[in-house]
Amino acid sequence: MSSFLNTPSLGYRVEGLLAKPGSGLVALLVLFIIAMTFVAPSFLSFGNWENIANQAVFVLLLALGMTIVLIARGIDLSVGSVMGLSAGVAAFLINQGLIFPLALLAGIGCGLICGLLNALMITKLGLPDFVATLAMLGVARGVLFLWTEGTPFTRYMTPEYRLVGGQVKLGGIITIPIIVAVVLCILVSLMLRKSLIGRHLYAVGGSPDAARLSGISVSAVKTFAYVVSGGCAGLAGVILAGRATNVAPTLGTGYEILAITAAIIGGAALTGGQGRMVGAILGALTITLIANAMNIAGVTSEWQQVVTGIILLLAILLDRITAYFKKRQTSAEIEQSPQQEPTPATAPRRAIS
Amino acid sequence: MNTNENSQSVPVAPADQPLVSVRGISKVYPGVVALAEVDIDLRPGEIHGLLGENGAGKSTLINILSGTVSPTAGTIRISGSESTIATPRDAQDLGISTVHQEQSLAPNLTAVENIFLGREIITGRNRLTGVLDEKEMRTRVLELAHEFGLTDHDIRVPVAALGALKQHVVQIIKALAFRTKVLILDEPTSGLADHERHTLFSYMRQLRNKGISLLWVTHRLDELFGLADTITVLRDGRLVATVDPAGQSAESLVRLMVGRSTLAAREDIVDEGRAHGFTGSRDEVVRLESVTRHPLLHEISLSVRRGEILGLAGIAGAGRTETAMVILGADRPDAGSIFLHSKPAVIRSPRDARQKGIAYVPEERKTHAILGDFSIKRNITISDLKRTAAAGLFLRGGQETATAKRFVSDLGVKTSSVQEKIRNLSGGNQQKVVIARCLFTEPDLIIFDEPTQGIDVGAKAEVYRLIYEFVDQGGAAIVISSELPELIRVSDRIAVMREGTIVGELESTGRDEAASETSELGERIISLATRGAVAA
Amino acid sequence: MSIFQRSSRVLAIDGAAVSIVFLIMCAYFAIASPYFLSPDNIHNTFVESVSAVLLAAGLTFVLISGGIDLSIGSNIGLSAAMTLFASMNGAPTVLALLAGVATGLIFGLVNGAFIAGLGVSDFIVTLATLSVGAGVLQVFSASTQLTGTADSSFLALARGEVAGIPTGVLIAVVILFVLEIALIKTPFGRTIYAVGINPNAAYLAAVSVRRTKFLVFVISGIVAGIGGVLLASHLNSVQPGLGGGYELTAIAGCVVGGVALAGGRGSIWRAALGAFFLSVLSRGLQLIGVDPLWFSIVTGAAIVAAVAFDRGAQKWLQSTLRPVSPVAAAATQNAQ
Repeated sequence: MSSFLNTPSLGYRVEGLLAKPGSGLVALLVLFIIAMTFVAPSFLSFGNWENIANQAVFVLLLALGMTIVLIARGIDLSVGSVMGLSAGVAAFLINQGLIFPLALLAGIGCGLICGLLNALMITKLGLPDFVATLAMLGVARGVLFLWTEGTPFTRYMTPEYRLVGGQVKLGGIITIPIIVAVVLCILVSLMLRKSLIGRHLYAVGGSPDAARLSGISVSAVKTFAYVVSGGCAGLAGVILAGRATNVAPTLGTGYEILAITAAIIGGAALTGGQGRMVGAILGALTITLIANAMNIAGVTSEWQQVVTGIILLLAILLDRITAYFKKRQTSAEIEQSPQQEPTPATAPRRAIS
Repeated sequence: MNTNENSQSVPVAPADQPLVSVRGISKVYPGVVALAEVDIDLRPGEIHGLLGENGAGKSTLINILSGTVSPTAGTIRISGSESTIATPRDAQDLGISTVHQEQSLAPNLTAVENIFLGREIITGRNRLTGVLDEKEMRTRVLELAHEFGLTDHDIRVPVAALGALKQHVVQIIKALAFRTKVLILDEPTSGLADHERHTLFSYMRQLRNKGISLLWVTHRLDELFGLADTITVLRDGRLVATVDPAGQSAESLVRLMVGRSTLAAREDIVDEGRAHGFTGSRDEVVRLESVTRHPLLHEISLSVRRGEILGLAGIAGAGRTETAMVILGADRPDAGSIFLHSKPAVIRSPRDARQKGIAYVPEERKTHAILGDFSIKRNITISDLKRTAAAGLFLRGGQETATAKRFVSDLGVKTSSVQEKIRNLSGGNQQKVVIARCLFTEPDLIIFDEPTQGIDVGAKAEVYRLIYEFVDQGGAAIVISSELPELIRVSDRIAVMREGTIVGELESTGRDEAASETSELGERIISLATRGAVAA
Repeated sequence: MSIFQRSSRVLAIDGAAVSIVFLIMCAYFAIASPYFLSPDNIHNTFVESVSAVLLAAGLTFVLISGGIDLSIGSNIGLSAAMTLFASMNGAPTVLALLAGVATGLIFGLVNGAFIAGLGVSDFIVTLATLSVGAGVLQVFSASTQLTGTADSSFLALARGEVAGIPTGVLIAVVILFVLEIALIKTPFGRTIYAVGINPNAAYLAAVSVRRTKFLVFVISGIVAGIGGVLLASHLNSVQPGLGGGYELTAIAGCVVGGVALAGGRGSIWRAALGAFFLSVLSRGLQLIGVDPLWFSIVTGAAIVAAVAFDRGAQKWLQSTLRPVSPVAAAATQNAQ
């Protein structure tokens, strides 16, 4: 048995508990669901679950992309706006008479381009990640406002689009958005766990220096992450346009915070290198469940934003508390094994924390 | 991505032709010459030892060869053809792998994942989808891993959960797992147990027999004998000698490294010594009793008095800076007590330490000492701004400038103006400003951590002078230095540290003694600090 | 001395570049629209820029320390709501003012506690408080009509005039002055720069990094609260989405003015100049018939352009103003 105990960096230690999305979050969810059935019996009905799944699709798609970006030690604040803009592109092109599939592709393409622009600002101009994506948030929203001239795009809905938007079930069984989300989740999960680029995403997030020393292009990997995040936002936007039946200039506002919260309570960490697809799915479900429960309980939708923000703060708080206890535990263990190799000086550790 | 690491052919050079031939390589940073016109040849089937003290230029040379630093001048020939190593990838493609001293692993990935990072294996039809062949990768390293004592479990968990030693092993395997012409090992045995070292050595011999060239940096001289074929010694960024170990002893190598024999003859260091010495009462300033900080420090006890300089000796990682951090309040001990002026004290932060009369000259000047964008003036006064503020509220520019000017002239900082940004100064002058920053708080104790690292000879003498002046006026000083002659010269007493404990305390023979005695003391210190690795 | 060196010497002066661009822009608008230089327009431009300038000034403290505060947008909106609510319910002007400032203070305390106290990433914390603040404003304004107060002394806070100058502008100028003094002339201000330049070195040089980080968020919060009070007094109504996106404008203002996002560089007057620049740009664009909806695009573009320009300018200045290359410098040093 090894007598050498690990002294991983603080940032890494922090994530220990939450990195296992199976444990705490699921228990919390089950408890929450049980509690809700007492408050409102309709909560457990099949119809409501279908409803929740259909609702969760948007946050899920965004959380998917956000998780990838977070793994690569980035952050994408622009997803809400990009989602709105992509919805606008699809709706507008259909109104212009473009054939339906092409219009959808154009919407997704818009998301990909926004993601690429984010990546260029970050890797080429050296803007901090959140400033670049914050600028993109403002620009994408502004473009949509200008373009719609403040009034929603309407009358683009077609029967096909109802299908794509999930208003009608495919063959009366399941909606297309759910299928898309499930397929994408599986694909991304495989990509993260099995593929080369997945491995490199974790490496870049875990230690950019180690990745660079191993000959990995950190910029290329980051670019990939932002383009995927943009693409996910584009896809979510295209579906949202079909769901909402009109594209208001404010469509998608505030979704970035939902996506970030979902990704973080699902175990992704701002310090990079952490996060899994299961976590993002559970995170998105949690957020949607809470929103749904609040709806059923008759809480006005205005409260949702407040609650999401508080959940995010609580998640961070929990993070730190876990870290604190884990740290104490580690140092207690170390006392039992006296022969320790000295580790490098950690002088500035307390300086910046 | 590079998936055919095995197809890389290794052109066998004629036996006498060097695989890597470095000529006149230099690296100049603003104000510091890290490496000056160094020549080195690495031949196939050779283990080439690289020796030198901290700051001698070993890391710079390694970084140049592994593509993380680009040289200012000089040429590198690989198998006879001139090559540029601009990126780590270039180095890998040229067959140069490096085991870095600092952890260059992604903590969240497993050993296998780290070993193949950047060189993942993708087989067959998976080329299209980019799906990794985990099984193949695991099989390939399994044997190596087992030989280095990694269990199947070890290679499946994130390396952060492995502990420092096994992380190091992973790094070594990472370099060994690929076809390399040149393997650079930067202190590969630090933190390894004896049997593990021997496993590593047998690997190194095996690699040598295969015709691979190894460039090996180590602090432990005993290791070199019987293993190294050639030894190159660097000092102050310059090539001292390339020698055959057969004609050398540990002592002669130490002499080459530290320039001991030339120390007495170094007339360029104008060292006046301590003019008068402190004549007041030698009260104790700080005392540590059994201070323990897991896992860095174990039962540290030491004390310093007014008018006294305590030297802290030890190799890198022995816990010297960590001790300083505890005294400075940047780190809290888990057990033990600290006494200031014979009264028990708790030091909460460097700010608290300042109020209690303790100041610190940090080790890494660039990253931990200077405030690059600040002027000299602001760098000095930052340590205690209230001193230049009217009613403690508003900074008085005039007084601040006057103070800074006084320090600049007292300490002999060469600059046109106190408004000059500190990052435009040379290393020695930057260091003087940092010392001025400490003196400004009028401390009782200053901890000097590697005070002369990376500064030129003239500036070194002036830094010594400043230390002497400080203690002669009743201050107490702790000096941490990896340069033994310097430590012996400066200190009144020397505490030797090894692996987080103090293993011995020696009275310094001081500056006035004959060079031979100084040398004897040096040998004893080296012996203590390296677990008796060098015969005294 | 070459023309390049001459011009780079001019550009090396703090804020010279942005001032020149600002003047060129004003000249253009003055030619394009005769109304631009009318006293009426100048008056309105100043009045409307007050909140943006104040937000940027408060944010400057955070930016110089190397941090970011995204919550100022919802902070100013909620502070405006609180102060107006207090005034509408008969609170005297002083109390109403305090209600707004206290709201801002709470934002600052929460941000500071999480960031400096717990060591959590600053933008995730302020993003969360941004969301909470905006949500609370939504909830609050859905239940209460914040359509105006009759208290004339409260309204006079921003709308009154002293010697022809709007009181709102005067108050803002006084606050800017106080902030600039705090930043440049006090020990505390100096430590903010030190923390931004190199937190490790500052910490080892006996600066309390945590305290400094905590206080900059408190200051940013309070200043946003004051901005909210003036905004409420100016508008005399609060819409649910008030303040949304203001954080972006404030960041843009700071960056355009030359406050470094990486910390350690900047000043209040430069941030104020940058924010004022954007206000004038917005107003000028409206005058020459550009849809005001363009503004958020312009803001986003301004951030990117300013950062890109700053990087380019820094490189250029270093290459032209320092003919001595590092190698040569070291060589001469060795020769000594």
